[in-house]
Amino acid sequence: MEKKVKAIIQVIIMFVTLLTVGAIASQASAADNSLQKVKQRGELIMVTSPDYPPYEFQVNKGGKSRIVGMDIDVAKKVAKDLGVKLVIKSMNFDSLLVAIQTGKADMAIGGINPTNERRQSVDFSDIYYSGGQSFLINAKDVNKFKSVKNLRGAKIGAQTGTLQYGLAKKRIPGATVKGMDKSTDLVLALKTNKIDALGIEKPSAEAYVKNDPTLKMIPSGYHLNKNDVGAAIAFKKGSNSLVNAVNKSIVQIKKQHLTDKYLASAGKYMKVNTVNTSMFHYWTYFAKGVEYTILISLVATFFGVLIGVILALMRFSKQKLFRGLAISYTEFIRGTPLMVQVMFVYFGIGVVINIPALISGMIAVSLNSGAYVAEIIRGGINSVEKGQTEAAESLGLTKGDMMRYVILPQAFKNIWPALGNEFISLIKESSIVSIIGVTDLIYQLNIVRADTYRGVMPIFVAMVLYFLMTFLLTRLLNYYEGKMKHAG
Amino acid sequence: MQDNVIEVNHLSKKFGENTILKDINGTVKSGQVICVIGPSGAGKSTFLRCLNLLEKPTSGEVKFDGTDLTHVDGKQLLDLRERMGMVFQSFNLFPNMTVLRNLMLAPIRVKQMSEAEAKKTAIHLLARVGLQDKADAYPSSLSGGQQQRVAIARALAMNPEVMLFDEPTSALDPEMVGEVLEVMKELAKEGMTMVVVTHEMGFAKSVANQVWFMADGYILEKSTPDEMFENPQNDRAKDFIGKIIEAK
Ligand SMILES: Nc1ncnc2c1ncn2[C@@H]1O[C@H](COP(=O)(O)OP(=O)(O)O)[C@@H](O)[C@H]1O
Ligand SMILES: [Mg+2]
Repeated sequence: MEKKVKAIIQVIIMFVTLLTVGAIASQASAADNSLQKVKQRGELIMVTSPDYPPYEFQVNKGGKSRIVGMDIDVAKKVAKDLGVKLVIKSMNFDSLLVAIQTGKADMAIGGINPTNERRQSVDFSDIYYSGGQSFLINAKDVNKFKSVKNLRGAKIGAQTGTLQYGLAKKRIPGATVKGMDKSTDLVLALKTNKIDALGIEKPSAEAYVKNDPTLKMIPSGYHLNKNDVGAAIAFKKGSNSLVNAVNKSIVQIKKQHLTDKYLASAGKYMKVNTVNTSMFHYWTYFAKGVEYTILISLVATFFGVLIGVILALMRFSKQKLFRGLAISYTEFIRGTPLMVQVMFVYFGIGVVINIPALISGMIAVSLNSGAYVAEIIRGGINSVEKGQTEAAESLGLTKGDMMRYVILPQAFKNIWPALGNEFISLIKESSIVSIIGVTDLIYQLNIVRADTYRGVMPIFVAMVLYFLMTFLLTRLLNYYEGKMKHAG
Repeated sequence: MQDNVIEVNHLSKKFGENTILKDINGTVKSGQVICVIGPSGAGKSTFLRCLNLLEKPTSGEVKFDGTDLTHVDGKQLLDLRERMGMVFQSFNLFPNMTVLRNLMLAPIRVKQMSEAEAKKTAIHLLARVGLQDKADAYPSSLSGGQQQRVAIARALAMNPEVMLFDEPTSALDPEMVGEVLEVMKELAKEGMTMVVVTHEMGFAKSVANQVWFMADGYILEKSTPDEMFENPQNDRAKDFIGKIIEAK
């Protein structure tokens, strides 16, 4: 019987999920009021991944951080021409297109090449900048890789899903192409000789070479049509009116060669960043990251335990429906990756109600943790002797009072170490929320890496910070465990 | 109050395919002390648990103060249950609270007694079982005999009309049995209606009105203590009593 109920509920969950996904898909075919919406709102919301200088990056001046770069200037110009205010949201590069598909932003900008694959899911403006392609190599290899011809059969890195990735595969004979998500990781791979060369846009390559004497660049030698490749702005499908309006600004940008001006100003900002690349200089970034990581973990711990208790009590309910619901929920959550859940809450549920990234992250991590905590609590309740229930019942206590005063306090004492482990893993696992742009420690780590051109040091700092957090929490938990033992 | 506090008619209890209690009949009058004896596995605990419906009878009726418990549930069952106290072989004190809190919890939560009143009652009862100085101790710091006396006081805190005891002294070291039986004898003398599963013949002889002998899920004999221990009629009872006298 239990199985049947469970099966039915799981089918319902699947159904709801599909409906939500369906709702996202059907949004695309709605009537085009994209331009009207932006004008009515008075705000143009753009989303970007600020770890790609000189296109977009964060600048750290006087302890305050700001997103700047050529793309930001392009977006500012667009917003000004439309007569609206520009609002910048930041997010992982992988999430940019999903963000506009699900209406989290009006447009995505970030050196995005309008490849055919991408054109299937989003609309693009005209190309506003075409910087050309190049390869980064290690300075010590300049004689080995004098030109692209020498790259035959070499190991070449590129950002997964980008133009550079496809070109390296198609145009460099015998090359092994290794894809990674972040250009900072790719540069590190190059410097540690995991790859021989890195396919990257020319402006980025120039920025790296300027800031790192151990790197050199060589021209790609690709012959590409300037109207096909370059950076364009992405919009949700069916945003013709907005795309047309933006294209008018792009025409001006090209005519007046504004990108040259924008790049020059980006270069100045980059100098500000690299004047002092010591990690101390970036302590505000790390501090903010630690603050958010702790905040998310605390909130998720609180609601995780709350959800866990409710689920555990449902498992002990007389109602088959409650039991089935609790079992299905737990199985569903445990059977899907946290990363997918985070994206589902932000982008999926976000279609129905617009939840900010931080709150979405907290919700997803809490929901996830709740399922695990429920299992721990269930074990804890089962570990309380049967005689306790009998004594409570014989005194006439209600089931609720029995749980509250007798069973749960003992259960919690038994499972304290297991709960402690769960909280510690929350600190580590919550790092996944950086993919939707929550500014936790991992997110800040990536920003600092992009800004300072130092690949390893920020990773080391983040590692130490994570360790400090978990270490202190472990001590704290042990202290309270000792105290509880003392109390009988 | 009715003269028959507890009345059991044709009670039977099955666990799955196993019939553990078979056609049990009996009455307990106000102020009576009934001792239940019998070999391990006879169904004594199950019988006792059927009396306050910790176990739901399969058929038959269990009347408490005229109301058939087998047909009530929810709030009404809780109300009737609080009028019966129960003491267990393994004490079952709540280890997460002090002795005082063990005694105060049910009066406050079930009887809606005020904190102050519950505390007053609790301290009074602890004095009665000779443990007033242990009010703030946790159960784990008490000896077995002390824990069982606290358990008795906890049941009494609800001011029950009937007390059920399931082998209250069989988990105790021999030197502690006396202190617990003393408290129980006091209770009996004060007129408490009691059903006690025990093999303590001395206790039965001094306070019981009747001794019921159970085996294989049946009550095979009901007699006065003297008759039961000196001259049992049933062969199984004879055999069983021979063994416990030998063991002494
Ligand atoms: N919850 C239960 N489920 C199944 N069988 C039980 C349960 N409780 C007791 N029994 C069985 O009922 C029989 C009588 O048990 P019990 O009443 O504890 O006997 P006694 O107290 O006389 O030793 C035993 O065979 C025991 O295994
Ligand atoms: Mg028993």
